[in-house]
Amino acid sequence: MIGWAENPALASRGPVGGTGRPDDALRDYAPGPLGGDLYCDARPNVAAKWSLVAERLLRLSQGAHGNIQEQVSREIQELGLTFRLIGDEDERAWPLSPMPLLIGTEEWNDVAQGLIQRVDLLERILGDVYGPQKLVAEGNLPAAIVAGSTHFAPKMMGLTPPGGHYIHVYAADLVRGPDGEWRVLADRTRLATGIGYALENRLAMSRSTGALLSEINTRRHAGFYGDLRRGIAADCQRDDPRIALLTPGHFNQSYPEQAHLARYLGLPLVEGRDLTVSDDRLFVRTIAGPKRIDAIWSWIDTQHIDPMAFDSRSHIGIPDVFQAWSRGGLAVANWPGAGVIEARAFSAFIPRLATKLLGASLKLPNVATWWCGQENEASIVRRRFDELVISSAFGGHVEGLPGGRTRVGAQFSAEEKERLLAAMHLRPIDYCGQEIVNLSTTPVLIDEGFVPRPFTLRAFVARDGDGNWQVMPGGFARLSSSGDLRTSLMGSGDLSADVCVVDDVPIQQESLLGAGVTPAIRRSGGILSSQAADNLYWFSRYAERAEMTVRVIRSLLGSPIDADGGAGRDPATISRLVEILVQWGAIEAENADLSLARVCSVALGKGKLPGGVAMLVTRLRDIGRGLRDRMSTDFWRVANQPVPGFDPDHTESLLSASNHLLERLSTLSGLTAENMVRSPSWRFSDIGRRLERALNICRIARQFATNDSQVDDLSALLDLCDSQIVYRTRYLTGPMRAPVLDLVVLDPHNPRSLIFQLVQIEHHLALLPPLVEDGVPERPLRETKAILAELQSLEAADVTTKVLQNAETRLLALSDALSLRYFLQFDKPDRSSQGSLLG
Amino acid sequence: MIFRVQHVTDIRYAALVRLARFNVRLKPAAWSGQRLFECRLIVTPPSGPIATEEGPYVVNVSRLLLAEPISALRIESRFSVDVTPPPHPRADICPSLARIRQAAWTSRDISKFGPTPYLFNSRIVEIDAAIGDWARPFLADGDSVLEAGRALMHAIYTQFRYDSDATKTETPPGEAFRKRRGVCQDFAHIMIVALRTHGIPAAYVSGYLRTMPPPGKERLIGCDAMHAWVNIWCGEQLGWIGFDPTNDLIVQGDHIFIAMGRDYADVAPVDGVFHGNEGQSLRVSVDVLPVVAEVAAGSFGQAGGRSRNTSPAR
Repeated sequence: MIGWAENPALASRGPVGGTGRPDDALRDYAPGPLGGDLYCDARPNVAAKWSLVAERLLRLSQGAHGNIQEQVSREIQELGLTFRLIGDEDERAWPLSPMPLLIGTEEWNDVAQGLIQRVDLLERILGDVYGPQKLVAEGNLPAAIVAGSTHFAPKMMGLTPPGGHYIHVYAADLVRGPDGEWRVLADRTRLATGIGYALENRLAMSRSTGALLSEINTRRHAGFYGDLRRGIAADCQRDDPRIALLTPGHFNQSYPEQAHLARYLGLPLVEGRDLTVSDDRLFVRTIAGPKRIDAIWSWIDTQHIDPMAFDSRSHIGIPDVFQAWSRGGLAVANWPGAGVIEARAFSAFIPRLATKLLGASLKLPNVATWWCGQENEASIVRRRFDELVISSAFGGHVEGLPGGRTRVGAQFSAEEKERLLAAMHLRPIDYCGQEIVNLSTTPVLIDEGFVPRPFTLRAFVARDGDGNWQVMPGGFARLSSSGDLRTSLMGSGDLSADVCVVDDVPIQQESLLGAGVTPAIRRSGGILSSQAADNLYWFSRYAERAEMTVRVIRSLLGSPIDADGGAGRDPATISRLVEILVQWGAIEAENADLSLARVCSVALGKGKLPGGVAMLVTRLRDIGRGLRDRMSTDFWRVANQPVPGFDPDHTESLLSASNHLLERLSTLSGLTAENMVRSPSWRFSDIGRRLERALNICRIARQFATNDSQVDDLSALLDLCDSQIVYRTRYLTGPMRAPVLDLVVLDPHNPRSLIFQLVQIEHHLALLPPLVEDGVPERPLRETKAILAELQSLEAADVTTKVLQNAETRLLALSDALSLRYFLQFDKPDRSSQGSLLG
Repeated sequence: MIFRVQHVTDIRYAALVRLARFNVRLKPAAWSGQRLFECRLIVTPPSGPIATEEGPYVVNVSRLLLAEPISALRIESRFSVDVTPPPHPRADICPSLARIRQAAWTSRDISKFGPTPYLFNSRIVEIDAAIGDWARPFLADGDSVLEAGRALMHAIYTQFRYDSDATKTETPPGEAFRKRRGVCQDFAHIMIVALRTHGIPAAYVSGYLRTMPPPGKERLIGCDAMHAWVNIWCGEQLGWIGFDPTNDLIVQGDHIFIAMGRDYADVAPVDGVFHGNEGQSLRVSVDVLPVVAEVAAGSFGQAGGRSRNTSPAR
């Protein structure tokens, strides 16, 4: 199957394609002569839809909105669709080609029937491998195939999953051969990578092409995802189960996909450290105490899911979750160990096992595979070496195939071939040969024309609520840039495309919840894990800290109201502002004597100091990444931007960057205030902001409202607290100590005052779910009330440095009390780590 | 002969650790030629009831859960075992390496006693061409597996130096191989890599050696801690035969079997997870005394105890 890109015959394109109609956008489309082509092979009714889509996309390209590729990219960005290649630091934009693949229902139904037959077979094989093991004992499956599979989990032997369902989600990589026959290249029962991207591709396509997909009667995906969810729910013990999506964490290659899925399906996105096993049941740590989890859709490999049962070095797993699924009523999709049948060597036995277990041959055949652990097969591979693809039988590095990468036999030099054959003599069990299939091509819009590209298609199958298999109509296609499409997801330079299964008659509308079923009305949704609450709290604290730091910088650069602001100010005031930047870790003490512009550019810019704005923004994005399932796309787009560029020597440029940042941070707080449902999530987000603001007020008021404060000092304080205008409307005099302190510390009506922050925190804490329903206020609330009561008893003249100092200390204690009560108390990656002891 | 074994592990943590969960693999798994009695595991501070079950390989796993924070942990394993030395393996029924390979690859036995689980890469042992090339002279296709195993074992014994400072528990076999130094664990791993690279099933065995040698014999190396050696699968008829590359001998009545796995990680005496600082120190003492000798030597536990102190854990 690999041969397309290397095939010289394809350089000259035969005059095969096109319908010949002069107005047809695909008129000049010319696929290669070797493989089939999805468009050229299509029946007339489907070919007409191809032409319609091609024409419409071209027309969209010529419109006012830039070409269609740019429009699709814009949608991708709007949706926040990203992925990572292994080794990537940052996420990349998802490469979606605008031209979908169209498959008629007739062709697709055969594929779907084949997939269902195949997943049924895989279920039976798994049931035997982890059960009676008759296939091995009776010689239908070599023991070495099972034992050699990287994802075989012998500890799972003898355990039966709820409902007997090893597989809930199955993905298959399909290839289409020269005569239009579909075959299975790889089975995926471990992780259904791509299932979220298929959804996102469809969303991006619908948004950039309007009603086009409906016009060609594209079958919808929504029903499929609803079925998947109901299928998992059906295997749970409780009627209204809590299903969580278990992620390895936001450094995982497909984390963005997992976050999208969780958000779309309404599943809490959890990491191992959010979860705990107690009395053989699984719980998520939430702000309202531990809550039972009935099922997990796991995106963690079995080897890493439980450090006690499997690899003790795993830091992403849940200790003893094995106990929960083996005897505590936890459903797991897919059942741990289901990945065993993914090994390439396994597929050599699938046709034989179909005959044995189903009494029928496969409707959807494999790409022919020979496992060299058998003498006959090994000699076939040796004899036909040059016409086969040679691969590692169980994945992973083997001698002669660096990194376990598959290679066409003909590409080996004589010396390489000799080495490989020698290695194969010692361990033939590690090698497979597979036939080469010439891949069908599909039209891809590149620049202004359509060119053929070879593709593979990842199809998805899920169990529905009745335990029956449902096939996603379509899937996602990968279009190769290099010719090798055997990698797990996307290679650098590859494109993805939506796959549309098109009907002759219009399709009925479906929603995620399924046709005709009205769910019970709810006004509170889901749970808030301690981890998520922690992230929300710190996200807001960093946002607020960044905002205040930028305010200090802007105040140095030029006061927004005061004509004498900025560099014209009293040098003592300026040095106090610079001192704040030093104290907050935004600049180093030895840089305090630099020019003002330099000081500001260090504080804003590249500095590695923890309090520098660039650093704060980086932390903001890092934490935000872990909150992706909870953030709206708008929010994430604003949050996920670096510090704007500026010229470090020009005050104007610095000022404009500062203003830009302030606007952006205000947008974030505005979106939080206006768009977030008043749930505990919002409360934690707001508590974080209020607590940070309260701390900052204490700090700057101490700095600027001392007994010897000058007018400029007090004016700077008003600046930083954004209270200049209020002050001027209330008082005719210039800034004086008592009225200024009253406004920024004690005035309960000023949203920038210290007391205002505390009143808000008190309000939030009172409304958070309690651990115990005894009506007694919990410690964070009691502490807040105590700080508040003391401040409320004061008048402006009483607000001394000591009072402010005291308030600051107590606020810090309050933050600790909050994290002790609501957040995870251990497992903070930067505080302590989960140790593993070997020996 | 009946031996009494006492194995004490003292772990001290730099700071309090919470929610510690451990897998302890110290109870001897059932093995032919061994009869176990009086087996106890004593943990201080006391863990809840200790459940012991059979693991996915030939190993007993005891589970500890310490709900309260701890700063130190003492695990004491005591048992008595009657060891019948296995008969000398019969060279005349010993198959060739070529036959062993073929038999293993086509085996229908996927159980933990069969050859196939011990043919492939595991967490620590990975097929390694360099080790495979080094071992080639000892592993000719036509050699009987017994001869080949002896030759390989002898090569390790003569070409490698016992040096407990050269490697750590987590040192990969490839590195110990390049240094030509290590301890029993490294030698066992290197021998397993060599065999598996040549397609021969080989397993890692943890166990003990008797502390004091029989009169007139030298003390064996590795008797003051847990020991490790290699089991080679010698075909359906002969089954597993133990080779101890640290002492260059085929396992006889002086070795006490605890567990067999694909490598050290499957049979590690103690591992687990906890929350807290990782800093820890470990002290291990092992006594293995023949029950008859005990009477002569006086009270149990004072005769041959050796301790060693390593940090981090070995």
